Amino acid sequence: MKENLFGEIKENLIEMEEEKVVELCERSLELGIPAMETINKGLIAGMDEVSKLYEEEEYFLPEVLMCSDAMNSGLDIVKPHLDHNDMEDPIKVVIGVIEGDTHDIGKNLVKILMEASGMKVYDLGRDVALDDFVNKAEEVNTDLIVMSTLMSTTMDGMGKVIEKLSEKGIRDNFKVFIGGGPISQFYADKIGADIYTNDASEAVREAKKVMGRVS
Amino acid sequence: MKFREDILTPKERLGAFLSGQELDRMLCMPIVTSNAALMINKSVKEFQLDPEVMANSYIAAYERFGYDLNYLFTNCSYIAEAMGQELVYSENEPANTEVHIIQSEDDLSKIKVAKRHDGNFSVFYDALDILNEKTGGKIFNSVCFSGPVSTAATLRGTESFARDSYSNPDLCHKLLRMSTDSIKNFIEAVVEKGAIPIILEPIASGSIFSPKMYDKFAAPYINELIDYAHELGAAIPLHICGKTNKIIGRMADSGTEIVSFDLCDLDIAKEQAQGKAVLLGNVSPSDELLFGPDERIINACKETIDKMSDYKPGFILATGCEISTKVPLENVDVMMKAVRTHGLYDYEK
Repeated sequence: MKENLFGEIKENLIEMEEEKVVELCERSLELGIPAMETINKGLIAGMDEVSKLYEEEEYFLPEVLMCSDAMNSGLDIVKPHLDHNDMEDPIKVVIGVIEGDTHDIGKNLVKILMEASGMKVYDLGRDVALDDFVNKAEEVNTDLIVMSTLMSTTMDGMGKVIEKLSEKGIRDNFKVFIGGGPISQFYADKIGADIYTNDASEAVREAKKVMGRVS
Repeated sequence: MKFREDILTPKERLGAFLSGQELDRMLCMPIVTSNAALMINKSVKEFQLDPEVMANSYIAAYERFGYDLNYLFTNCSYIAEAMGQELVYSENEPANTEVHIIQSEDDLSKIKVAKRHDGNFSVFYDALDILNEKTGGKIFNSVCFSGPVSTAATLRGTESFARDSYSNPDLCHKLLRMSTDSIKNFIEAVVEKGAIPIILEPIASGSIFSPKMYDKFAAPYINELIDYAHELGAAIPLHICGKTNKIIGRMADSGTEIVSFDLCDLDIAKEQAQGKAVLLGNVSPSDELLFGPDERIINACKETIDKMSDYKPGFILATGCEISTKVPLENVDVMMKAVRTHGLYDYEK
């Protein structure tokens, strides 16, 4: 019964049926199913599948956005009923688009998929001052710093953030992820970033891997 | 292989290519745009707003590189600007959009179909007049502009446009219709100035939309523009940045003479476009060309030239996308040197 419901939530989420997802989440509460289970086995499981479909180039930006809207509406229903004792410490992520660049679609996709897999994401937005990455990372004691840019004119900023971390002696406290149109493994090696990924799904997978949370 | 200076002028070379005659070397069209302003010590902002600065930048670039086409281009949003979208101009970056004018369907009344002198369109016309007079005998000019999808997404915001594609497709089509009509008015004026119109569709890229969405929202309008240019007697290349593995066949089927591509496997491009369209691409302006060193640039060019040498109806060496102001101009010299060494054909004048 429970498993069927989770399956239906997952399926409707993948099919972008926001209203159905909301309805099913409401039903899960009526049935007394713990919110945590509905989130993990229904909503997050659905977004995992969406993430896969995105990586396989079956789903693209519009589909991911629509699915994430459905997930968030479902979360709104069940989240107030979460028992906080159940919760594992989430992976913490500070994310933003480098100073000088306002292209944030890629960053938003990474954010959506990271949140959808249960990570706590601190989104600094776009055109983010380099010091803000460093300060926020220290302030929230983040696990990952994720930087994105679409423009080769602004990519130098990523290297500078890493230099700033080194100058403060805190480089090794964080894993630094970079991505975006002009970014490559070549560039990641050049500036000493920990991880470069080609797309948002891979970023989530690598994040779980470096944090030892591979399921 | 040995380096050889050019024998034909860029205009003679492209003319010969288009009419199926022999060339001295492979055509080479690195996408030099506002970075050319740096060569005459002007800002990107001046380049976007002052036709004389624009024209002089391209003259300097042509004289230095001897490449085969001037790509007149300022930013991805100028069609939207002419329709009513406000842009933010900064000193050394292309203008961009901060607040999208279409926040809801009600805002449709705030935009209009652009006429030929709206927005900053005239900068291009005036620059073309200067270029035609000064270098028109030696090199062709082209004008690049955002296509219907990229223009509609600029007006609406890309993420909102993406959601609308499911939740309000009707709004998408209204914006696409107005964008297409605006672009037609611009194309007509550009063609009158003797320039080649080039459609850019970064937002229709396979990095953002599915092939299914391409069929539904991009192809009908893009193909309409191509037909329109043909009615005016003009060739009209189609450029899509980002990933195009899954849509390059559709690009080739659009009726365009030249498919200009960025991230696409060369074998797939060859197979899908064979016999339909000339291919133009795709040395990376953010990797090899940005970082060098010379040997790496030359190798990238040589590999592309070798791989595409048997492609019919023909291949043009270019960058996959616009060359940013961060790319050392010396690296563009190296690219041109590569084609003058590894892209030579037997030729007697």
